[in-house]
Formats: sequence, structure tokens, C-alpha cells
Amino acid sequence: MSELRTQEFQINMGPQHPSTHGVCRFILTLDGEVIIKAEPVIGYLHRAIEKICENRTYAQCIPVIDRFEYCTSMSSEMVFVLAAEKLAGIKIPERAEYLRVIMLELNRIASHLIWYGTTSLDLGAITPFLYGFREREDVLDLFEMTCGQRLTYNYIRVGGVSRDIPKEFIPKCHEFLDKFQGKVDDYERVLTENPIFLVRNKNVGVLTPQMAVAYGISGPSLRASGVKWDLRVDDPYSIYDRFRFEIPSFQNGDCYDRYLVRIKEMRESAKIVGQAIEQMPEGDIMAKVPANFKPPKGEVYSRIENSRGEMGAYIQSPGDSKKPLRVKLRGGSYNQLQVMPELVRGHKVADVVAIMASLDIIMPEIDR
Amino acid sequence: MNRDELIKYLQDKFQDKIELLDTGRVEPFFRIKPEDLVGFCRAIKDDDRLCMDYLCNIGAVDTGERFEVVYNVSSIKNRTRFDFKIVMEYENAAIDSVQRIWPAANWYEREMWELYGINIRDHGNLKRFLLPDDWNQGNPMRKNWDAPDFKRMPEF
Repeated sequence: MSELRTQEFQINMGPQHPSTHGVCRFILTLDGEVIIKAEPVIGYLHRAIEKICENRTYAQCIPVIDRFEYCTSMSSEMVFVLAAEKLAGIKIPERAEYLRVIMLELNRIASHLIWYGTTSLDLGAITPFLYGFREREDVLDLFEMTCGQRLTYNYIRVGGVSRDIPKEFIPKCHEFLDKFQGKVDDYERVLTENPIFLVRNKNVGVLTPQMAVAYGISGPSLRASGVKWDLRVDDPYSIYDRFRFEIPSFQNGDCYDRYLVRIKEMRESAKIVGQAIEQMPEGDIMAKVPANFKPPKGEVYSRIENSRGEMGAYIQSPGDSKKPLRVKLRGGSYNQLQVMPELVRGHKVADVVAIMASLDIIMPEIDR
Repeated sequence: MNRDELIKYLQDKFQDKIELLDTGRVEPFFRIKPEDLVGFCRAIKDDDRLCMDYLCNIGAVDTGERFEVVYNVSSIKNRTRFDFKIVMEYENAAIDSVQRIWPAANWYEREMWELYGINIRDHGNLKRFLLPDDWNQGNPMRKNWDAPDFKRMPEF
């Protein structure tokens, strides 16, 4: 009988895998079931958004940039518009600032609800998926009521927002906010102390604070590693300095802490929306921006806190042109996928799914 | 440190190695020489008062005349941020890798190498990234590269 021996082997995961949140492929090198090396292969969703933007006016760029991070289109628009406004030094009306904050935070809730649903789906639980998408529907109804779109809004414009909220928006929004905290309790009741969920997530994919900062991880994943860093507070943009809210952070940096941070963030976002509705003044929703918008020569990098971490946009304006010379977009998932090979090393194949779900990676943001 | 203090501190520390540009809005924007890149990055990260431990973004720019590489750095400890860039000619465009300083730079540099054709010295992982494996049509983010069916939008 020939001698038994072991050897490493490679398997391919994706690009069409039910739990890869887009089209991402991993080449995994395994020793038995333990991963010793993982290599992400990306580019399946590359749409050349940055190249397309170089041949568009600023207003025409916005609907394209909606597709940059389509789970939170409002943030994608916001970061680009913020950069353009910084370039031209535009001050926008108060009411528009409030409308933006309301939409951004509602969009953060909608995005976290997708994460909540898909994460549990990846781990084999189907009930949370139905719960999450049920409340997300209410948020999308609010967006549809405001700008006619449910996913790619084209709502935030250079100088303000495209239209005011209809009068039935505020009662509907109050109705949603009143029930939402109770719904989050429901979400937690399903998963937070669920023994299967705990086993799958505790001490899995531990991200140390040093590694997180070195790899440029931001957002909930960074805060789960014990670094209390949120751009809404630490580098405030728009009018975030006017609201009272907490920045949840935890110490372990494992999948479970990332889950807790996101759950808590949904609650805080709902609080911000409530305060913003209360404080919102009447008034204009659009500053006077010439139709022939040509920002002066210059370059700027703006960044905002998205649900997946720091989202940034670098714009260089050549001066006498309606088109940007260069638009560079930066998304939080880009860095999170980059650190994945470090996180999955030594774990089992099934944990790749858990780790990827807990980091809340989506591919359009990476491939652009 | 506010904007003015930051500018003064950087200018005192690096003297003629950096040049403050007037194109920056809000945050200060500097230009440094390509040969100083690694030393400069190491210094701003290790300096206690700056502590630029967080790399936000690296992006290459083709201005139509030359290449620029823009670095957006930030400090989580001190809550400051500034940008700097290096400028170089098209011929044999190459920069040193900064991934030993910020590991996050790895993918940004790989993307730059692929889409702009800027060579990255000392990188070690320059492989196909966003484009298809069998891509042989050059560097698509360069200004002189257009897709075969591309029509330029008129200036109106």
C-alpha cells in the first residue's frame, strides 16, 4: 500500500458565490480545511466610473457616481458634491443641510439593514433577512416619496438638493422612527444571544487596532477594534456638530463586535434623523449656482463617514472647464477587502463567509 | 494643530524639501520631490506632533502634460489632515512604494501601475488588478487613451 501524505491545495471561491456580496473571487490555499493563503481577485464590476466622470459636467457626474456605492447612493453623491462645493466655495442653505443629513442617516440605516439581512443569510438564518428588508422598505418608500427613486437617487446636487420633501414625509418618517427602536430590539432578540451566531462570530477574524489603522480600515470595523474614530465627530462635515449622538465602539475587533457596532449605529442614526427633523428650518433648498458651473482651478479631497467607513473623493479642476480633470473615489470596502487575507489566515473556509459578511464589503465600491 | 500651525510646522521641519501650493482648498497642499518621497512619508508618520498614521487615499492624475501622484494623509491621533503630491514626466514615470510605511498603499499603487502605467519600485505585487487578465490595450486612465467607440462630449 502506498504511503499516505498530505498536501496543500487551492480552491476557487466565487465570483458567482451566494455570499460574496457582488462578484468577488477568492483563490484559497488550504491545508485540510484551514486556510493558509487567500488572494482576492477583483475587477468583475469595473465600470470605469472615474474615466467616465472626466468626460462629464459636474451635474452629469452625479448620476454616474450614484453607482459607485449603490447601497448608500446618498453618501456617494454627498462626497462628490462636497468636494465640488469646497472647490468653488459654495455655502448651501440651512434647510438643504438638514435634508442632506436626514437622507444620509436614513440611507445609513437602509444600508445597515441590508448588512443585517445578508450577514445572517450568509450564516444560515433566513428570518433576519426578512426582518431587515421589511424595515428597509419603509426607508426606501421615504426616498421614493422625496426623489422618485429607490436605489440611485440623484438627489444631492451641487448647491443643495434637487427637491424639497413632500408634506406627508415628516409624519411618515416619525411613524418609522417611533417603531424603529423596537424593531432593532427584535433584531437583537434574534441574533445577539443566539448560541449558533455567537459560535460563528466570537473570536473570528480578529482585527487588531494597529492593523486596522495601518490598512486604512475605517468606519464600524475600526470602531469594533477599539479605535473611537468617526468622521462625523472627528472631522465634522455638513452640520453634524449640531446633533447629540454616541459613537459606539468595542474592544475585541472580532466579527461579533463588528455586529454590535452596526446594530448600535442604526439606533444612533435614527436619533440623528429625529433631531434633524425637529431642528429643520423652512427656507430655500438650493444655493445660487450658475447652470454653467465652472469651479476655479484647484484640487480638493473631501471625506465623509459612510456606513462602510471613510468615503472620499479627490477632484482636480483645471479651471476654465465644466468637467473635472480627475475624479478619484475612495471607498471603505477597498481597504477592508485588502486586509481580508490577513484576517482569514488560520480560519476555516466557512469563516471566510462570516468574516466577509461582518466587514460589510460590497464590490461596486471596490471596482468602481 | 489648525491649518496655519500645520503649514508652519511642516515648513519649519522640511524647509526647502516641500513647497506649499496655492491649488489646495480647505486643507494645505504640498509638492515634494519624487526622490524625497519615502523619507518624507517616514518622517511625517514617525514625528510625534504630526503622527500621520492613516493613509486616506493615493490617486494618480494625468494632467495632459505630466503625471501627478496625490497622497491624502491623515492622523487619527491628532485629527489633522493634509495632502501632498509629486509631479513627474511621462517618460519612465516611476515612484517608490510606500507600502512599508502604510500597508494600505499596496492596492492603490497596484491600481496606479495598471491604469496609468506608472512603475512602482520595490512593490512586489504588480499583477493584473481591475482589468481583465488578457488585457493588452494599454493604460486606460491616460488622457490619450480612448475606448474604441468613444465620442467626446462637446463643450457647450
